[in-house]
Amino acid sequence: MKLHEVEVAARERFGNHALLRYRWPGRIPEPGQFVMARASAQSLDPFLPRPLFAHDYEDGVMSLLFEVRGRGTALLAEEDARLLVSNPVGQGFDTDSGGLVALVGGGVWVSPLKLLGKSLGRAGIACDTFLEIPATAPQGYAAWISESYPDATLVPTEGTPDPSRAVLDRLGALERYAAIYASGPAEMLDVAKRTAAGMVPAQLALRERMACANGSCYGCAVPVWKSGERAYARACVEGPVFPAEVLAW
Amino acid sequence: MVARPEKTAGVAPDLAVKLCGLSLATPLMPAAGTLAKEALDGAKEVYGAMVPKTVTPGPRAGNPPPRVAEVPSGMVNSIGLQNPGLERFLKDLHVWDVGLPLFVSVAADTVAEFAAMCERLASDTKVTAVELNLSCPNVEHGGLQFCAGPGTVSDVVAACREALPEKPLFAKLTNEGVVANAVAAEGAGADALTLINTIPALVVDARERKVFMRGGLSGPAIKPVALRMVYEVSRVVETPVVGVGGVSSGEDVAEFMLAGATAVQVGAGSFVREPREMLDEFVAYLRENGLRARELTGSI
Ligand SMILES: Cc1cc2nc3c(=O)[nH]c(=O)nc-3n(C[C@H](O)[C@H](O)[C@H](O)COP(=O)(O)O)c2cc1C
Repeated sequence: MKLHEVEVAARERFGNHALLRYRWPGRIPEPGQFVMARASAQSLDPFLPRPLFAHDYEDGVMSLLFEVRGRGTALLAEEDARLLVSNPVGQGFDTDSGGLVALVGGGVWVSPLKLLGKSLGRAGIACDTFLEIPATAPQGYAAWISESYPDATLVPTEGTPDPSRAVLDRLGALERYAAIYASGPAEMLDVAKRTAAGMVPAQLALRERMACANGSCYGCAVPVWKSGERAYARACVEGPVFPAEVLAW
Repeated sequence: MVARPEKTAGVAPDLAVKLCGLSLATPLMPAAGTLAKEALDGAKEVYGAMVPKTVTPGPRAGNPPPRVAEVPSGMVNSIGLQNPGLERFLKDLHVWDVGLPLFVSVAADTVAEFAAMCERLASDTKVTAVELNLSCPNVEHGGLQFCAGPGTVSDVVAACREALPEKPLFAKLTNEGVVANAVAAEGAGADALTLINTIPALVVDARERKVFMRGGLSGPAIKPVALRMVYEVSRVVETPVVGVGGVSSGEDVAEFMLAGATAVQVGAGSFVREPREMLDEFVAYLRENGLRARELTGSI
């Protein structure tokens, strides 16, 4: 996979979260697409670049929002680190839904919803955005994340009986929506899929471990229904966004 | 020692190599299972041959996730040979036709199935050669790999040789017992040996206290092992050796050829760097040393 060295325009940290902005003269990302990113051209350790959702794009500046989890992401978040990224790749959200839509997100996986909201706005599609604020979020996190999502309804899960349901429960009558777009923790996606089933089309942004990100390795397998049979799709080229009903969880 | 003639600056170095009577424009090719049809752009300008993912007699769904794990200087995979099966693969064979010789990698559960696949491929004119992936379980021998010992290597290669009399036959082996296995494969009629497949590995999740993955190790972590196998085997067999394991730079390509490889496959390295860049580095290496690619093979 071809990685391009890019100029980092801004680097922000909030607790475990990092927001990187970089100049990107290449292909404009579609909402739900991702890039592969690494911090060094010289070292192949860590070996694999990290798949990160395109968080935002404006006037030739791309941004990535991610959580520092291991060495790869820690290196990316380091002050003065270099940045190498691939083209934005993958199948993103299908925004051709018509009517009011709901965006639901949680944790650091809210990332792709920023670009999605913008793109829907540009297309004149109204949307309601609900973001889960996990009980474990540090002080000030809600304020920080709402800078990126000024119109979102923040849903703290603190004290709710089933945190994975909190955001979906806030949506109210699902029939009001022409589509639901979800990007969050696995349990939330699972709830979204089950809640939306038969009521409203839902699209889920998945995050799988990836190696090649171009379809070659078959490493990012996702169980799906294909012609009535259970099969594995590759999240990198057939996703990372899938229609909920296709997923064979 | 390699003789170092005067540098021939400006002249494009000769990249061509001969492998089993085939002229390859460059010594590079993808390692089986590491280049998908979606990613063939530019392949013609980089590789000397095309090698699709291993195909089996019938379709295989592959293993449940997780299938990949990163480890220091490499990765472990447990893909489980997900593929559409031989007939579907042959129907769609044109997608692999980028104007390069086509080496089809095959695996099967039994010797008879291996041979039947070779027979089928023998009659397809688009198929240039066949690579036997012998790192798959031999169902008739309690699931031990075909390359677990010279006996089964010999059986399967001999059966495939008979089924595929006219096309080059490659036997792909892993590191264990590689010299004896290579000698057996050559004795049974293999035209070339591909060394090495991934090395058996285990990834443990200490936090969850469970096995995270049982799979095969690849990437720079295995390069020294693969080089050693290429070096030792190429000294005892007559057949050419195709080197594979951890190649991620042009210098790596040179190292494999110096150690004895006639051609070199790039696997996991192609996930993290462009093979085009590796080839450019290899060209620069040849130019600097005033050498032609084929002069490197086994010259140390
Ligand atoms: C994701 C992945 C899938 C692979 N699939 C196959 C396969 O289908 N058939 C095969 O013979 N080898 C397969 N291999 C092994 C490679 O062809 C190669 O022998 C091995 O990875 C060592 O080379 P490398 O370090 O350059 O990756 C696979 C390797 C990887 C990483």
